[in-house]
Amino acid sequence: MPQEPARHHRLLPVRPLTFSPFARSVARVATAYLVKHHMHDAMQQSAGDEFKEKLKNVDRQSESSEDEEFDGVVQADFAFFDPKPDDFHGVKTLLQSYLNYKQWDLSGFVDLILGQITVGTVVKLEDDEDNGVFSIITALNLGRYKDHKCITELKEFLLNICHEKDKIGNLRSLLGVEAQKVGLLVSQCVVNLPPELLPPLYDALFDELSWATEDEPTEELRNSFRFQFYVVVSKFYKHKNANQKRSSSTDKDEAFVYIKPEDEILHKLSMWSFLFPLQTQQVATHELKNYQLTGIVMAVKAEDISSFRQQLHALISES
Amino acid sequence: MATRLQFENSCDVGVFSKLTNAYCLVAIGGSENFYSTFESELADVIPVVKTSIAGTRIIGRLCAGNKNGLLVPHNTTDQELQHLRNSLPDQVVVRRIEEKLSALGNCIACNDHVALTHTDLDKETEEIIADVLGVEVFRQTIAGNILVGSYCAFSNRGGLVHPHTSIEDLDELSTLLQVPLVAGTINRGSEVIAAGMTVNDWTAFCGSDTTATELSVIESVFKLREAQPSAIVDEMRKSLIDTCV
Repeated sequence: MPQEPARHHRLLPVRPLTFSPFARSVARVATAYLVKHHMHDAMQQSAGDEFKEKLKNVDRQSESSEDEEFDGVVQADFAFFDPKPDDFHGVKTLLQSYLNYKQWDLSGFVDLILGQITVGTVVKLEDDEDNGVFSIITALNLGRYKDHKCITELKEFLLNICHEKDKIGNLRSLLGVEAQKVGLLVSQCVVNLPPELLPPLYDALFDELSWATEDEPTEELRNSFRFQFYVVVSKFYKHKNANQKRSSSTDKDEAFVYIKPEDEILHKLSMWSFLFPLQTQQVATHELKNYQLTGIVMAVKAEDISSFRQQLHALISES
Repeated sequence: MATRLQFENSCDVGVFSKLTNAYCLVAIGGSENFYSTFESELADVIPVVKTSIAGTRIIGRLCAGNKNGLLVPHNTTDQELQHLRNSLPDQVVVRRIEEKLSALGNCIACNDHVALTHTDLDKETEEIIADVLGVEVFRQTIAGNILVGSYCAFSNRGGLVHPHTSIEDLDELSTLLQVPLVAGTINRGSEVIAAGMTVNDWTAFCGSDTTATELSVIESVFKLREAQPSAIVDEMRKSLIDTCV
């Protein structure tokens, strides 16, 4: 980008060289600068089955522009929506790498997520004609959907990649006998989604879950949302030498670098977890050249969730 | 017959393959399932060639061809060019062209008689297309989109175009192409037709998200239900390799 004197009064939108309107809006959001932000909590309490919409206005303004090339106000209005069948392509794109690019019934999995309207949230831009999906969060009962091809393939995948003998027994019971009490926590967002959206997004999910346990029409459905455990499949960067005893010279390098901030908290709170190798090619940036992208499967107790929510709020608000 | 398949969890089969009446190109990589699906449908009839173009797997979007020839972009490597020349039937002329719009598959849509091209294509490229592919060339847009190669797919028997194409445009294109056209979608509502499918006169391959309705539209407009490969191939018997010694 050419050097320009800071123009305090003009809005200079960044026009990246991308070909889809969706990519352009994502890039627009990514270049937002932050000074103060305030969030309007316009959440309305309503019966679980009704359509509800929560608005998060994140006003972003530039900081004092000593060495910045431009300052401007980039307004991004994110809205939380119930999952709809129209969101199929957006959600499918977000979940492409969910099971390490293995060929499985991903379309069926996305259909399951979009079919569960009472629990689950999709983050999109307000008034966006392109219907671009920025984030998806939901919890699926592994027992309720156990006959679906995608869930059986997912269970098979998890059991196959678990090479830690002490964890596989736990995993097998969670996926088998106790599946009715286990929720698969699926959460995926675009890389540059503003982290301020994460606490309300998770709050929305857990609130919807508690409303669903009261508002669903049948006893069976109500019980299906009373989770005792959550299983999370995710990925993060592990230091290549993390297993070795760390001498003082490598102390400044963290053992793990989490891509999603909530993973760090979930990992600490988890009952157990295991890692699995990923075959995907990763672009090694300079800062991450000593790290290896690794997959992780974690199991979290439902009673630890309120602690998780508090810690997530604390983590995001201080950063 | 139309077949549904996937390339590595992606339903964009038209991106990773190129199907004509004389040959079929398939991208390297992915599981063997992709290649073997093409093989099982086509092996006895036309050669199925695994290749890359410019080191990439998006071969369906980079090259354009029909039974007479194949055009590849300027960044195709010499080895790839030689591999294609060796593997394809002798009658198929493979030509590398210097054109700044290098995604030829997105810019050119053609069957064995007519080609639709991007409006900004070089005059020289247009002449090469007419010469190598043996077609009449028309510069067109489809539903206001200049990437004609992406938003329509047609064979010698029928064609599928972008869903928002107006009736007047449909009639005009149908007259130019001399085949029946229908406006529709692929892969559960996707408008990028040519990315989601690839077709020739007797068979089509579509992404696995394609609904039953979309599939029946495809089978009807491309007249795939009664089609038998032997009828078409007999005309081209001389150009096909029977044995490789």
